[in-house]
Order: sequence, then structure tokens, then C-alpha cells
Amino acid sequence: MAVNRRSAIKQLLYVSAGMALLPACLQNTRRTSLEIKNIKVDGEQGKMLAELVETIIPATSTPGAKELSAHLFTLLMLDDCYNKEDQQKWLKGMEDFEAASKKMNGKSFLESNATQRAALLTSMEAAKDDKDDVAFFYRTTKRLTIQAYTSSKYFLTNVNVYELVPARYHGCVPLKPFTHKLS
Amino acid sequence: MSTNNTSLQNRTFDAIVIGSGISGGWAAKEFTEKGLKTLVLERGRDVKHLKDYPTTSQFPWEFPHRGQVPEAIKSANPVISRCYAYKEDAMHFFVKDTDHPYGQPKPFDWIRGYQVGGKSLMWARQTQRWSDFDFEGPARDGFATDWPIRYKDIAPWYSYVEKFVGISGNKDGLAHLPDGEFLPPMELSCVENYFKDFVKDNYKDRQVIYARCAHLTQPQQVHLDQGRGQCQKRDLCQRGCPFGGYFSSNSSTLPWAEKTGNLTLRPFSVVHSIIFDEKLGKASGVRVIDTNTKEMMEYYAKVIFVNAAAVNTNALLLNSTSHRFPNGFGNDSGVLGKYFAFHNYRGHIGGQYEGFKDSTTDGRRPTSAYLPRFRNVQKQETDFLRGYAAGFSSGRGSHTNTDGFGTTLKDQLFNSETGGWYVGSHMMGETIPKEKSTVTLDAQKKDEWGIPIINIDVDYDDNDEKMLKDFFEQMTEMYTKAGFTNISTGDSKQAPGLDIHEMGGVRMGNDPKTSMLNKWNQMHACNNVFVTDGACMTSTSTQNPSLTYMALTARAVDYAVQQLKKGEI
Repeated sequence: MAVNRRSAIKQLLYVSAGMALLPACLQNTRRTSLEIKNIKVDGEQGKMLAELVETIIPATSTPGAKELSAHLFTLLMLDDCYNKEDQQKWLKGMEDFEAASKKMNGKSFLESNATQRAALLTSMEAAKDDKDDVAFFYRTTKRLTIQAYTSSKYFLTNVNVYELVPARYHGCVPLKPFTHKLS
Repeated sequence: MSTNNTSLQNRTFDAIVIGSGISGGWAAKEFTEKGLKTLVLERGRDVKHLKDYPTTSQFPWEFPHRGQVPEAIKSANPVISRCYAYKEDAMHFFVKDTDHPYGQPKPFDWIRGYQVGGKSLMWARQTQRWSDFDFEGPARDGFATDWPIRYKDIAPWYSYVEKFVGISGNKDGLAHLPDGEFLPPMELSCVENYFKDFVKDNYKDRQVIYARCAHLTQPQQVHLDQGRGQCQKRDLCQRGCPFGGYFSSNSSTLPWAEKTGNLTLRPFSVVHSIIFDEKLGKASGVRVIDTNTKEMMEYYAKVIFVNAAAVNTNALLLNSTSHRFPNGFGNDSGVLGKYFAFHNYRGHIGGQYEGFKDSTTDGRRPTSAYLPRFRNVQKQETDFLRGYAAGFSSGRGSHTNTDGFGTTLKDQLFNSETGGWYVGSHMMGETIPKEKSTVTLDAQKKDEWGIPIINIDVDYDDNDEKMLKDFFEQMTEMYTKAGFTNISTGDSKQAPGLDIHEMGGVRMGNDPKTSMLNKWNQMHACNNVFVTDGACMTSTSTQNPSLTYMALTARAVDYAVQQLKKGEI
């Protein structure tokens, strides 16, 4: 099926307004407005990305990366904060990622079940640098997913609480004993 | 204020102050308090305290790129993008390269803030006094020219501005970094206190102290009267502070001046030149271009203070030519625009400390510890002139294992581990002002107002390279002896300018043949024009210079008003 990529992304991301709307949008579960200017991702790829970030950080008793819109943050950062060369490398890497999925599991990432997805990511984890396009794609997406998650309102108000107004500095206090946080 | 009123009376003031940054704000406060009708001209937009700090209360997740500057802006603006404070939360307070181009025969990262308050909004707030070891430097070591003042001349004015600004500090009793009027210091960390004691025990000539800074740790009545309150340790100062916890023109001097009823603040006003009245033999006023209407108009006053920030002050004087001053305003000596200098911030060192495993810090601190200059203080002792100060800071980071994916990774993200103590220092080196280090006007190219664009031609020299090497050697030795591990040094190789401490070009001096300003920051060749920003600096020493600009400004206004009353000006 020939899909006009621009209209596909509109369907997926409901492009209607500029990025000014984004900060609030990223933080809730409303339909999100996102205008991307430099990279082209079609609807299937957009859905795949959402499942990929969810596989990287899944929902448990706490939200997963998809719920915190890490896939949209990833697209936004790729679009605004990476140079053209890296953007193309990432896009090419995404195609290679799908190819790797087909090769390993005989189907696309979206069509794969959880076990198959995990197997693919396990193979991706083996890469220690960004040399291959597919490694660049996976490692960049993972890094941005982690950034989206750990700088989200959810994380900074529930897990590592960010204080806008600490009103104190103590130079030397006992280190609190480590307590495991349920993730 | 009626900006369109062109009647002579409405364009005539007692005093004109060009620039509203850290020194211009002080000139405005002092003049208006002394009852003079004062016009403050600011080339940029207005920034009102509290009202015009759009990002001040934003949480990290409210920034679309989590603080990062988008690639398109970075690639179009490489100079400003190298500034440590040019991030998504404070970008709006900095000048883009593309907005106001300038010439760099050698790379010079010129960091600018064109708005009311200037760079006082985003400054690093470090306020160390100079001593006679600094003021006597050029004369003792035979460079630049002798300062026309000594510590005793400026000491009462340091006290005067410190009380109003609010300086947090410790009485350390050091002759080479004199104590001031201090509010209580913030705490040092366990590792900083350990290093402080270690240095004291092992080096007679070296100290680690709490860095004095313009933060209200315990506001006094005069600060409350300014509408400012206690520093809340947000460490987000570059956004503008909703508590007025640190000093800026916007939170302090300008609203104070406004309350007197004697202030007229005119934003969007680029000063083209100072008008010299050949008959009176003095300056009569300034030519201003309104950046909105592009209209040029003249404003008049009995006395003019130039506080446009070092580079622009040089350029304005160079552009103010007349029959009397064909080579730039007050430039009989020919030194205008020469002997320009900066601070060498290239060196940094980092390491780790294995002790104090059971301790950490709590909250945030918008300052650090400080090592005052220890090289060549009492006498010349190295193969380079002068010396450097250094910051010292420490803390415990957190370590997050990002291996893997799925619930394993998620668990790791939720359970980051407290890392060991890190320590770090950066170098603040004195550079030697040289005749060949210049600010000049381009002979051909002009900016959008028809004013020649500025060329800045300054570079590091051998002395700077030797000093950098010494910083690495001495700091590595101290760090090693103190038991710090994994020590690494780095040369940022950053261009001059990124230190944001550009100084000189309109230097003070005793001799009109070799300097522009006398001991009162008054022009040798025109007694109703004063320069009290960074351009007036005869040498640079190592201290962050803003406190000295403020003290010199208050002192110069006091003198100027006395002279006006006596009819001398």
C-alpha cells in the first residue's frame, strides 16, 4: 500500500499545532500534537517505535515508556537536536532494525510477540558502539527513551523527587541507607 | 516617560548612563539617590524583575528538549552555543551570533546579553575583592601601566556596594583576598573541608576558602527594602530569581533607582556616539538610535557614564569622533581600544575521593569553594608573570546501570546508586594586557544601524601557556598529595572571551599620554565623561571582576556629583 508518509504521520501523531504545545502534551495521555520537520516516519514505523520504547521500559505496576510518550520525545529530539547525518543514520538504522527482526523472527517488530521482541533486543544489546546504523538506531532510541522516562513528570515526582525550591544546602549529612524502590 | 517627545527639555537630564548591566545599574542607583535626573539607555528590550523571567518556575520536564539547545540554533550560532549557560532555560537572555555579527581576526567568543540588566541576570555571581597585590601588579612586574588607585582607595567602596548587594562569605583574614561585609557563608562539603585542612597543613602560601558570592544567605533590612528575599538554593539563577536571592540590576539597583522618581529608563536605544561640544570643551550628550523606529535623536546631560560593557564601550568611544577627537572620544593618547585582555579559563582538573563514604550533601548550592591566587603573590617566583585562582567543588553523583532492557533495566533506573565523591577545579588566570590586543571598528562593514561593526583581535600568549602548565602541575600535585584518585586534567582550548571577563581598552592610569581615565574613572581629555565598566581595567588579576566594577562605579558617581556641585564639571 502506497502511503503518503506525511499524511501517515499526521494520522499517527495528529499534527495540528506547533511544538509550543508539546511540553504539556508530553506529560499526559491526551492525543498528542507533534510536528516533525526534518525526519520522516510513517504510521507503521511510529507504532513500531512506541512498541520498542515500551519493550525497553515496559509498564509494570508503574507506567511504561509508551504511556510517558517516550517515543514522541525520541522523535522530537531526533528531529530538533541531531544533525542531518545522524537523522539519516537513525532512519536507515530503523529499516535495518526491521530487517533484523524479519531475519531473526520472520516478522516485523510490530507483528512479533514479546518473546521475539526480547530476543531481538538481546541481540541489539551486544553492540558496544554506534558504528552500524542499526546499533546507532537502537542505542540512540534507548538513550532517548531513558532520558524521556527519567526526566518525566512521573519519574521526577514519584521516584527521584525533583525539588524546584530546596531552600537548603547541607555540606555533610549521613548517607541514607539504600532502600530498594519497587519499579 | 514619553519616548516620542522630542522637545529639548524632555531630552535633557542631569546624567546619562549608557548601559543597564551590573555597572550601569549602580550608576543609575547612585545618581538617582543623589537627586540627579538620570536617563539610562539600554540597547535591548526591557526585562522586569519577576515578570520577565518566563522559565523561572519551570520543572525539568516542562522544557521540550530537557534543556538542550536545538541543532538548528546551535549550528547557526556556534559562538553563543559554547557558553555554559546557553541552554533551553536561559537562551532568551543571550544574543545570538546571527543577530549582531562581529569580526574575529583571531577567534574570540563574545558572549552578550542585550536587555535591561545585561549580563547581571545570568552572571556567575562570584564576588572576590582585589588587594594591593593585584593593583600593584603592573608596576611591580613591568607590564601595562600602573593603576592610579590602590586598595585603600577602593576598600570603603567595596564595603559600600557589598552591604547593598548582599555578599555571602567567610572572614578568612587573607591579605591577598581581603575580607568584606559578609552575610553568612553556605556550607562546604566534607571533602571540601578536608581539602581545606589538608592545604592549610601542607602549604604555607595556599588556602581553600568558601567563594564569596552575591547571594542573600541572611537578608538584611536593606535587602528586604529592595523587595529581595533569602536565597532558596535553587541553583537556577540564570533564569532570573523569583526570590531576588542573588543580585542583579533587575532585582536591585534599577527598581531602587526607579523608586526615587529620578530615573528614566529607555530600552531599545542604541547609542551611536557621544557628542562633543567644541565650544564648551566637553560632552553635551549622546546620539541614540531607536531600534524600533530607526530614528536617531539626541539626549543631553551634564555628565555621561559609559557602562555599555567592555567591548561596546570601546566601540562607542571609537565611533564618537569629532574635530577635537578625530581618533575616538578622549583618545589623545592613542591607547583607546588597545591593551584589551581577558581571563584564561582553559584549564580544568577532576578526580575522585574514596573517603567519607557514609556522608553526602543535601540540597543545592549555587557556589563553590575557592583557591585564591598563590603564584607570584609576594614576589616573582616562576617563569611566567602573575598567577591564577581556582574554583574547587565536590559532590556525589549517582550511578545508573543502563545495561539491558525490560523490567531489568527499569529496576536499575528506579534504583540508581550513589556514586563516590568527585572533586573538580577550574583555572582563572590573569592575562597580560598588550598593545597589540585590540578592539577596533571595521573600515567597511556596518551593522543595521549604520554603526561600524566591531573587530576583536586578542589571543593567548606564551605567558598564558606557561601558566596553564603550572596550573596542571600544581593542582595535580595538591590533588595527589590530598589522596584524590583518577585525576585527569584538560585544556578546553577555548577561545578568549568565553570566560566572559573581557576587560580594558579604555584603561585607567596616572599619565594622560598612556591612559584614557584618571583615578576617578574620569576621562583625562574630557572631564564630564566617565567609564566604569570592564573597559576601564588596567590589568585583569584573577578575581571575577564585577564587584570591582560596582565599587569603582559608586566611587566615580560620588566624585562626579561632588565635582558637579563645585561647578568643576
